Amino acid sequence: MSDVLLTVNGQSYSAYAPVGMSLAQLLREELGFTGTKIACNEGHCGACTVQIDGVPVLSCITLAHNVTGEITTIEGLRDHPLIEAFVEADAVQCGFCTPGQVVSAAALVAATPDPTVDQIRHQMAGNICRCGTYPRIEEAIQKWRG
Amino acid sequence: MELVRATSLEQVDGGIAIHGGTEVVPLLRDGILQTEKLVDIRGVIPRGVAGNRIGAGTTLAELEVDPQVPDALREACRLAASPQLRNMGSIGGNLLQSTRCWYWRLKYPCHLHGGDRCHAREGEHREHAIFANDYCASAHPSDVAAALLALGTRVHTTQRELALEDLYRLPTVEERELVTLAPGELILELELPPVDASVYLKAMDRKRWAFPQVGVAAARVGGETRIALAGVAPVPWLLDGVDGLDAATPLPRTAWKVEVARALVRRAVTSVAAK
Ligand SMILES: Cc1cc2nc3c(=O)[nH]c(=O)nc-3n(C[C@H](O)[C@H](O)[C@H](O)COP(=O)(O)OP(=O)(O)OC[C@H]3O[C@@H](n4cnc5c(N)ncnc54)[C@H](O)[C@@H]3O)c2cc1C
Ligand code: SF4
Ligand code: FES
Ligand code: FES
Repeated sequence: MSDVLLTVNGQSYSAYAPVGMSLAQLLREELGFTGTKIACNEGHCGACTVQIDGVPVLSCITLAHNVTGEITTIEGLRDHPLIEAFVEADAVQCGFCTPGQVVSAAALVAATPDPTVDQIRHQMAGNICRCGTYPRIEEAIQKWRG
Repeated sequence: MELVRATSLEQVDGGIAIHGGTEVVPLLRDGILQTEKLVDIRGVIPRGVAGNRIGAGTTLAELEVDPQVPDALREACRLAASPQLRNMGSIGGNLLQSTRCWYWRLKYPCHLHGGDRCHAREGEHREHAIFANDYCASAHPSDVAAALLALGTRVHTTQRELALEDLYRLPTVEERELVTLAPGELILELELPPVDASVYLKAMDRKRWAFPQVGVAAARVGGETRIALAGVAPVPWLLDGVDGLDAATPLPRTAWKVEVARALVRRAVTSVAAK
């Protein structure tokens, strides 16, 4: 067990956890950020995507103790226009993949405000949607500014 | 378990090195890797591209958009894994990734785990090797290694400089390890020769975000065309000329890979000749 100090959505947090605990587990179970989902827990699906210093990474295969940058979770993107765009495009079915989709999409539109379909498909390929909502997700990202 | 954040190379002493952790973390969780000490090496491994030298800590995401990098390597990075994994994964760690053989990942007591047989040879092996598959039929999963091999890359470590092909060895009863690094030896940089033209082509079971079924890299380097393959042997495979596939020894359910490889080799060689 040892101390972990993290910055999540602009605020500092500390926890006491065993080395080896994933960032996803720590966020959900110790800090209460349950918007981050765990589905495959092995790096395949993207449900657990968070940003570290603005870059999308997989929190299920990131060790909590090894994070040095600032974390942004879906809770930190509450007011992002993408949220409304996902609602408008009806880009959610069961919704389990949606937090990860939005976290990835937010990094995409920050770097490329008007992405082409091909850019969207390339940068969103790591977020699997079991319900197959891909066309709506693409539409939401294309219309993210309303 | 403890985690040490190394700030100098001397501090990397025992334990398991972790860079992006995309391989280390799942393998630790599954109990395939075991250690009391993890050493975060991000602070001591060079990162970034300077001319023909690539820091081993450079991520695949950084490489896929870097104009200094030859086409084959850029494309291999672009087609590897998923965006999040490319953001996390370093090129050094990519070269050292373990096999995706499902028996090995599920801890079957196979040859590569020190057991007495290769479960894949007798069992499910449609994703497995077509070369050097006698002892272990696993197929090396690195797109990046195939590209670097075709490009004639040299590897600089904390102890020596070697050709990329010498980083790998085929596993045997006596020595199951696939890489030749000594304990504690770290990859620091990769050095590329001047490259005239290069290309990487990848067959996968869907269009994005999949391991290579077969990956083919071809490069024109100093008047010579080098061809290297991913997904065809336990290690990245340097092909002995365009007819090299005649020497393949496929298993009953990997014969299809020979045909795919032939087609990709033909296209890759034509493409670098025209560039
Ligand atoms: C789900 C999944 C899909 C993938 N798909 C592909 C694919 O399609 N194509 C492909 O090519 N790759 C693929 N990969 C591999 C991926 O690119 C690598 O896992 C990643 O690049 C490894 O880098 P890392 O920094 O995360 O390594 P780590 O996990 O940190 O380390 C991996 C290994 O290398 C050692 N190590 C790391 N850096 C050094 C160094 N500088 N010197 C010495 N030892 C070192 C570690 O001790 C460890 O043994 C995939 C991986 C995953 C998990
Ligand atoms: S192919 Fe290699 S890793 Fe897979 S079961 Fe056979 S010996 Fe083990
Ligand atoms: S839960 Fe992390 S990638 Fe699936
Ligand atoms: S909406 Fe159900 S998994 Fe994507």
